[in-house]
Amino acid sequence: MENNQQQGAQAQSGPYPGGAGGSAGAGAGAGAAPFQHLLQQQQQQLQMFWSYQRQEIEHVNDFKNHQLPLARIKKIMKADEDVRMISAEAPILFAKACELFILELTIRSWLHADENKRRTLQKNDIAAAITRTDIFDFLVDIVPRDEIKDDAALVGATASGVPYYYPPIGQPAGMMIGRPAVDPATGVYVQPPSQAWQSVWQSAAEDTPYGTGAQGNLDGQSMEF
Amino acid sequence: MADSDNDSGGAHNGGKGSEMSPREQDRFLPIANVSRIMKKALPANAKISKDAKETVQECVSEFISFITGEASDKCQREKRKTINGDDLLWAMTTLGFEDYVEPLKGYLQRFREMEGEKTVAARDKDAPPLTNATNSAYESANYAAAAAVPGGIMMHQGHVYGSAGFHQVAGGAIKGGPAYPGPGSNAGRPR
Repeated sequence: MENNQQQGAQAQSGPYPGGAGGSAGAGAGAGAAPFQHLLQQQQQQLQMFWSYQRQEIEHVNDFKNHQLPLARIKKIMKADEDVRMISAEAPILFAKACELFILELTIRSWLHADENKRRTLQKNDIAAAITRTDIFDFLVDIVPRDEIKDDAALVGATASGVPYYYPPIGQPAGMMIGRPAVDPATGVYVQPPSQAWQSVWQSAAEDTPYGTGAQGNLDGQSMEF
Repeated sequence: MADSDNDSGGAHNGGKGSEMSPREQDRFLPIANVSRIMKKALPANAKISKDAKETVQECVSEFISFITGEASDKCQREKRKTINGDDLLWAMTTLGFEDYVEPLKGYLQRFREMEGEKTVAARDKDAPPLTNATNSAYESANYAAAAAVPGGIMMHQGHVYGSAGFHQVAGGAIKGGPAYPGPGSNAGRPR
C-alpha cells in the first residue's frame, strides 16, 4: 500500500513552479546575500504557494477523491463531546483545509531545514516553524520544550528586530503577540553578513529567557557562518 | 442518537503507524496520506524523517479540533445543532487562518453547486445532517464514505486514495462513476 501510494505520487510537482530552484536560491542567499534577502526569498516562496493554491482549487470539480479520508476527519471532529451533528460538507471542506495546513506547515518547516543545509526534514524543523508563526501558537504543546530550545537563538533573533514571519497582507506588520518589542537600533545591518549574524546572536543571548540555550546555539551558528 | 454509530472502532487504513495502538491511530489521519501531501511542498530530493511525519499527524488533528471547537461554540450560541461549512470558515477567520478562507470559499461553493445538480430539492444554508435517510444518493455515498464501517467500503476507499497520486482533476478523469457500491445499504446499517 505504501509503495503503491508513493509510486503514484507526483514527486516532481510542487505547490509552486521552480520549487527546487527557489530552495537553491534561498540556500545561496543564506551564504552570499544579506540576511534581509533570505527573508525576502522565504516570503516570496510562501506568496507563490498561496497564489498556486488559489489557482489549483479553482479547477477542482471532483469532490469524491480526497487526499484525506473523510471518516477519520469526522471521527476527530466528534472527539469533542460538544460536537453533535456535522453536515456532509464539513468533512469535505476540512479535507481541503487540512491539505492547505499540511502544505503551509511543511513549507515553513523546510525553510528551517534549508537554512541549516539539511535535505531531511526533521521534527525540530517543524518545531521551528511553529515557534516562528503566530497562527500556529495552538500547536506549541505538541512539540517538546527540547525541540523549541534548539531554536532559542532564532527566537531571540526575532526579539532583536528581525522578524521571521511577515503577517498576511492586510494585517498590521508589527503585530507579533507575545514577542519583545523591536529595537530600531539593532534592526539596522550595515555590516557584512558574518558580523551581522554574530551581532544578532549576541543580542539574542541577552534578551531570551533561554539564555543558556541561546548561548549554545550561538556557538553552533558561529561555526556555520 | 443516530450519530452514535460513528463512534465504533476505526478502520485499518492507518496501519503504517505500527507504534500506535489501533484505537490511538483513530486520533490521527493516516501517516501515508499526510506524508504524500508533505512531499508536494518539498523539492524532489528532500527527505522526511519519521518523527517529522508523526509530528505533522498530531498537528493536523490539533488543527481539526481547534477549528471544530470554535465552530461548535458558535453553533451553540446560535442554538443550532449542525456544524456546516460556513461555521468552519468563520472559525478559521476568527482563529487567524484568513489565507485559507478565500480558496476554501470557492471550493465549498462549487461543491454546493454540484450537490444542487444531484439533489432535486434545494438546500438551505444549514445543510441537513448526514443521518437523514431521504438525502440524495450522492450524499448517501458521502455518508457511507464518512462512516467507519468495516469491509468493502474501506477497501474501496483505500483504493481511491491509493490512486490519488495525481492532481484531483486528473484523478477524477481516470475514475468514472461512483466509487462506493451499494451506499444505500451501508448507510442504513446502524451499529
